[in-house]
Amino acid sequence: MKKDPIDATGTNGSRSFNRDIAEIPLANSDHTIPKNNNALRNNSNQSNLSTLSGKSSNNPFRIKLELQQPTPFTPDNLAEEQEEPDSDFEIDEDELFSDDDDIFINNLDQSFNDLNISTSLNDNKIINEGGVPNLKYDCLTTNELYDRMLLRVEKIKPILDISKDDIILLMQRYNWNEEKLLESWADQREHIIEDVGLSSNNDGTNKFKNNNPFRDNSLQSRENYLCPICYEEKDCTTFKLECNHEFCTDCYQRYIKNKLSDGNIITCMSCSLALKNNDIDIIMGNNDSSNILMNSSIKSFIQKNNKAFKWCPYTDCQCIIHFKDTLYLSEFKRLHCSPFVTCKNSHKFCFSCGFESHSPADCDITNAWVKKTRNESDYLNWVLSNTKECPKCNVNIEKNGGCNHMKCSSCKYEFCWICDGPWAPHGTSYYECTQYKNEKDKDKDSNSSNDDKKLKKFTFYYRIFNEHEMSAKLDWKLGQTVSQNVYQLQEKLGLSWIEGQFLTDSLKVLNEGRTALKWSFAVAYYSDQSHNLTKIFMDNQALLSHAVESLSEMLTEKNPKILMEKKNEFFNKTGYVENRKHALLECGRDLLCKGICKPK
Amino acid sequence: MSSLKRITKELNDLGRDPPTSCSAGPVGDDIYHWQASIMGPPDSPYAGGVFFLSIHFPTDYPFKPPKISFTTKIYHPNINANGNICLDILKDQWSPALTISKVLLSICSLLTDANPDDPLVPEIAHIYKTDRPKYEATAKEWTKKYAV
Repeated sequence: MKKDPIDATGTNGSRSFNRDIAEIPLANSDHTIPKNNNALRNNSNQSNLSTLSGKSSNNPFRIKLELQQPTPFTPDNLAEEQEEPDSDFEIDEDELFSDDDDIFINNLDQSFNDLNISTSLNDNKIINEGGVPNLKYDCLTTNELYDRMLLRVEKIKPILDISKDDIILLMQRYNWNEEKLLESWADQREHIIEDVGLSSNNDGTNKFKNNNPFRDNSLQSRENYLCPICYEEKDCTTFKLECNHEFCTDCYQRYIKNKLSDGNIITCMSCSLALKNNDIDIIMGNNDSSNILMNSSIKSFIQKNNKAFKWCPYTDCQCIIHFKDTLYLSEFKRLHCSPFVTCKNSHKFCFSCGFESHSPADCDITNAWVKKTRNESDYLNWVLSNTKECPKCNVNIEKNGGCNHMKCSSCKYEFCWICDGPWAPHGTSYYECTQYKNEKDKDKDSNSSNDDKKLKKFTFYYRIFNEHEMSAKLDWKLGQTVSQNVYQLQEKLGLSWIEGQFLTDSLKVLNEGRTALKWSFAVAYYSDQSHNLTKIFMDNQALLSHAVESLSEMLTEKNPKILMEKKNEFFNKTGYVENRKHALLECGRDLLCKGICKPK
Repeated sequence: MSSLKRITKELNDLGRDPPTSCSAGPVGDDIYHWQASIMGPPDSPYAGGVFFLSIHFPTDYPFKPPKISFTTKIYHPNINANGNICLDILKDQWSPALTISKVLLSICSLLTDANPDDPLVPEIAHIYKTDRPKYEATAKEWTKKYAV
């Protein structure tokens, strides 16, 4: 196996980075970074810029790290900490949405991080999130959310002093907002009871006061009963509430079935008296029905509270993300950062715009880019065909692997899929096919109009963006090979599952790198091409691009023995890709923060 | 099918004890398609007119509401040019315990007391609220023209 010279730089890069980390042990020990780091950021960016441009883009982390050290706790800091918005209301939401889960998720993160080989990965995370508020969110399913709602119900039960089923009805009516419920409860209790259907004045009955658990609203067997709904005279079971409106269970069941998906309170068919969950289960003869109703109710609760709750946008994923500090969302926007959240099924998406993880682009750039690509993609369809002619022998080649290092199967010519140029210079010197050659084009198309140039520029970036999207899809296929490889490692070499995990980790890093790279082209497109920082950004793109390609190539190896021999190489390469990615993301955010990149 | 039995029963009840000012019955052989008529209430601008409606029963009646619309043109804030009626019991407030006879009576009372705050035809609702005599004159005119 030939070894690229750049590989060597790669490992060097990550090694020197590790050394930097070691100099500042503090950065690793403290996971919560005080908020007032934001203030520091602006200053830090300035000095960062000068050092960066001075030192070229060799190792931007070092400077970052020093500046992003957590500020030591001073009395001022403490005061600020205490000023954290804390609900005056006696039921604190954080308390209700119990912290256990937080700890659980943190633990998960932690154990995941422990699996990562190089410690630098861990530290990078903090660097990246240094200036922005920590993301506090939960991933839930509707059932879990309902369980939490039940906890809330238990909390307010002593205040209202009524049964659990009654409170659930009230909560349904008040969209699970117990603050509003308690407020109105204090003011107009009688009115609410009637409104919700816990009592009905029309019939002179009062279900509410009848708290006897052995109520007579259970099923009854009747002979020759004429149901006023279906008008069938038959031997059947019937059901009635305190209002004495009696109907056969067949009719009741059909009636309820129709209403379960609405999530609203279901009442007696004749009056406004509400059916409690218990009543519904009695009529339907199972426990599922009230669960379905509660699920629908929770769903409508999520729709109504879409600031703090969002469904995972991935197909068929049932996860709900609960964002705890929605106030911070504007802070994210200001810092050109996006609140990326990951659901339990490892779907990563942006909580603000619902797109996939699109850093270094922020939501505005993403939006502008997506709109633009939608408008112009029809015109550019021809560019995006899956096949390409071999630059040498013109045979049609379909790309069926994630790596951009192509070898024509008919003439054995090796070339780069993106720039069609020979592969040789890519491996040895500087990988630069990610850069749009303004100058080159000037020479070529000096006569063409400005519009044409603009379109050419867009075409260039759009093509690369799509190449990386395609590559990401092919990487997904690669993923299946990788899991096979992991399996083979276990089978053939008798290794434990955990020892094969470096492959899975590498694949994950590869995917993330690829996504970051892809979106970085949207940023590059909207950036001022003449600015020095843009150039640095593009250099970073090229470095990441190269790192990603070589990692992708390494992962295509199928022989388990060779894979194990290369384990260390995998560690190094993965760490390197991770480092390059963070450098690129930081650089991209700099462009956004300084206004060098803006959606036009 | 339970819907058939129920509709037949309602038809029998209507024949035995018809409500004042309303009548209803199937069109031809199809028991799921009825025609109904409402006499304009005497204390309304629709007095003297006879308004026809068409009623379609869904197969899962009475668990889903019947589809009712005016076939006679009428000038009313809650009834549009296609004869569609904006009435809560025909939508989300429908209950299986309601019958056609009760629904027709509700429509009668809608003719007497329009609900301009939740209008289907905002222009008419506006006139109803700001210039009541003009509304009544127009409604009377339409009744004379289309419903007599």
